[in-house]
Amino acid sequence: MTIMDHLPDRFREQLTSAPLFCCRTDLLLDGSFGEQWMAVTEEAITVWEQEDRPKAKFSVLTLSDARVSGGIGGGSLIIETYEGPVVLARYTAALASMFGFAAKLIGALAKQEELPVISERDLPRYCPTCGHPLGEGTQVCQFCMNKGKAAARVLRYAKPYKRQMATAAFLLILTTLIELVPPYITKLIIDDVLQPKAAGSALLIFVVALGVTTVLMAVMQTVRGYIGIWVGSKLMGDIRGDIYGSLMRLSLAYFDRRQTSQFIGRVNSDAESMRQFLTDGVIYVTGELLRIVAISVIIFSLDWQLSLLALLPVPFMIVASVTIWPKVGRRLYQQWRSIFRLNTMVGESMQGIRVVKAFGRENEEMSRYDGANAEVVRNNIKTEGLWQFIFPAFHLIAGIGTLLIWYYGGGKVLGNEIQLGVLMALVAYLGMLFGPLQWVSQMVNWASNAIAAAHRIFEIMDTPSEVPDADRPAPLGKIQGSVVFEGVTYGYEKHHPVLKGVSLRVQAGEMIGLVGHSGAGKSTFINLLCRFYDTDEGSILIDGVPIRQISQSDLRRQIGVVLQETFLFDGSIADNIAYSKPDATPEEIMRAAKIANAHDFIVRLPDGYDTKVGERGHKLSGGEKQRVAIARAIIHDPRILILDEATASVDTETERQIQEAISRLVKGRTTFAIAHRLSTLRNADRLVVLDRGKIVEVGTHEQLLEKTDGVYRKLVDAQQEMSQIRGVSV
Amino acid sequence: MEQQFDIRMLMKTEIALTRNKGGVLQGMVCGKRHEELIVYRCFPFQYESSYLSIRDAKDVELGIVRDIGELDPESAAELEKELQLRYFLPKVTRVDRVKNKSGLWLWELQTHLGPTRLAMRNLHEHIQYPGGGRIILTDLNGKRCEITDWQALDSHSRKQLEEIV
Repeated sequence: MTIMDHLPDRFREQLTSAPLFCCRTDLLLDGSFGEQWMAVTEEAITVWEQEDRPKAKFSVLTLSDARVSGGIGGGSLIIETYEGPVVLARYTAALASMFGFAAKLIGALAKQEELPVISERDLPRYCPTCGHPLGEGTQVCQFCMNKGKAAARVLRYAKPYKRQMATAAFLLILTTLIELVPPYITKLIIDDVLQPKAAGSALLIFVVALGVTTVLMAVMQTVRGYIGIWVGSKLMGDIRGDIYGSLMRLSLAYFDRRQTSQFIGRVNSDAESMRQFLTDGVIYVTGELLRIVAISVIIFSLDWQLSLLALLPVPFMIVASVTIWPKVGRRLYQQWRSIFRLNTMVGESMQGIRVVKAFGRENEEMSRYDGANAEVVRNNIKTEGLWQFIFPAFHLIAGIGTLLIWYYGGGKVLGNEIQLGVLMALVAYLGMLFGPLQWVSQMVNWASNAIAAAHRIFEIMDTPSEVPDADRPAPLGKIQGSVVFEGVTYGYEKHHPVLKGVSLRVQAGEMIGLVGHSGAGKSTFINLLCRFYDTDEGSILIDGVPIRQISQSDLRRQIGVVLQETFLFDGSIADNIAYSKPDATPEEIMRAAKIANAHDFIVRLPDGYDTKVGERGHKLSGGEKQRVAIARAIIHDPRILILDEATASVDTETERQIQEAISRLVKGRTTFAIAHRLSTLRNADRLVVLDRGKIVEVGTHEQLLEKTDGVYRKLVDAQQEMSQIRGVSV
Repeated sequence: MEQQFDIRMLMKTEIALTRNKGGVLQGMVCGKRHEELIVYRCFPFQYESSYLSIRDAKDVELGIVRDIGELDPESAAELEKELQLRYFLPKVTRVDRVKNKSGLWLWELQTHLGPTRLAMRNLHEHIQYPGGGRIILTDLNGKRCEITDWQALDSHSRKQLEEIV
């Protein structure tokens, strides 16, 4: 498979040399949808629209550079000619990375630099069978792969319990068959005992038989019900576990863009819908189907003409169910979405409850809620209202069948063509037959609910991690800790890069201070090193191995992080320190705490290391939490250490203690530290100054201070000014 | 600090926009000639043709145009065109079909810029409702389309949308 679009022959013929690169746009220059072709050769860039004649041609010699100008939802490729900039092509967001490469290629040609090599990542890839975009790092189209419909995937969950399910099904068949016996016995009683008035042992025998079947049915229903609950609960557990597992596997970027409180509801309620379908639904549906077949056989053998008459409405009911099905599914999804919006809103205002209260916006929040609430009510009425219509309609249709039986059957009995018992049995069987048919609508409801839930669940499960592990990850023993950034570009929103072409070589054991205004890209730098996100361009190497080829668990084992926002989990201090090393001995924990300057304050707590911290536990101060976090990093014993504003928001004395702890921690480790107070970075080997996503200065504190109009110098001056205002020294 | 901390509103006389041969927006802003200008909408959803940030090629803001109607006709036309190009947001004129195929929502749309197709993994994360009957559709690749007022579309389109929005 060629990774470039295939240039049509009529255009290819016009080129004098082999194209280096060619591609197709999806927009015309005036911004409307359309196709335009572009080919880049060593000498020139040619652009065609529909006609054979090129629309534009630029000799490479007339160009000085090329770049992309990213718009919203699209962008344009601009070349710098000696007569000013020229828009060469426009495209929608789908093609942005391809044109990013095109710009680099043309730029390199114009400046006579080494030509960049195209990688598959630069090109949009589409599934050959269905034409949908392919995810990064995968060749399998997830939409084609999932063709094995949601229902089939749901059923796969039942597999481990097939023996129990089979028993339940077997019992179900038995109950269904036994259920068919009483009407037949009734028929026998009427025709053989009551009508001929032939008293005797026959009546007793029939009544006993009736009793036995009733008892048997009760017993089997109980057993089946129990199995159903057992399998159902197990299934629920499995599904929930899988969803949670998928959530944990997803990359940070996935959660950045979503409200997290929604997942609580999704894990539980969607799993419940699926369970209901699997246990009640599947068993119920098979049971009812079986019953329909059995009843049909019996009534046809009793009197086929009457049966045909009675079954007249059945096709209508089936047609109705089939046409209603998709409508129901969409309405249910619509309803779900309005509830989803409502829940998101509640989650949001609860998380921000302090802000809501502080600004006194309770009433506005309430009216916002009311709006969403009204929407839910409206959708609820719409969806549930549909049922209220369907149910009586089905009832009515079914009723017609019974009426027909009574009329024609009654006539037959009067004409002595059939016996009364047969008519009674027919009516009873028909009642049993139309029962389930009416419930078809209920089953539609269940199944649509479950399928909708399944879609949402599988959507989470199928979302590819944006930082996929390599197929065959490079083994990584104890690393040295050298880190190399090579032309790294990354943006949280693709094509709005936060880091632009950052290159940096860091020796093992070196301490690097990252400095810059907020928004300069310091945290992004660190996020990329941890591989919370993957670079858009360029690569990061640890000990010469690209981090994409290192398995993530291996990578994280080598990296320790102390963040600005310390998060302590629900549990004891000891648990939190030993988070990354659950088998740590008490001595190890204490040693780590000691190095982190945390040992003393912990011991002084009434519950010592067993003090509960986290959401509901003991409230530690910011500085104390910070030191626990440092202890956590120490016990992890990483080769690469990341400190992100580890000393922000603490007082000077605490900062000194933390500083002490950190200076012990960084010894012999490659360290990246971000700090707002530049004084904290004094012992860094080198400072890297970032500005608007680019490295602008690198050097020691002293070297950088010498540059009078350097960015670092300005930052230091500004801080000094600030601290003079506050009356404290830096 | 040499930065200005006030929003600079551009008067009609301070800004004149043209387009060079290569199709790049350029012009005079506050008496200075710029080979390339970039335009942002400050409130892309609320105000389509007001509060437009005019920036130079280095992305430094030169000023804000309060309303496109305040400019001279030529500048206004060029600005309007540039916004159209930069904010690629086709307006949906008709919804041909919305179908759900193997877990993917496929939209077939007619827009004022031509027909297009969108693919969404679900509806709850790809549709925005900025208010009124307005709907912004974003597909898997970040391609966006706008429905200005879905109630105002033809009956076929409304029927397609009824169970979606």
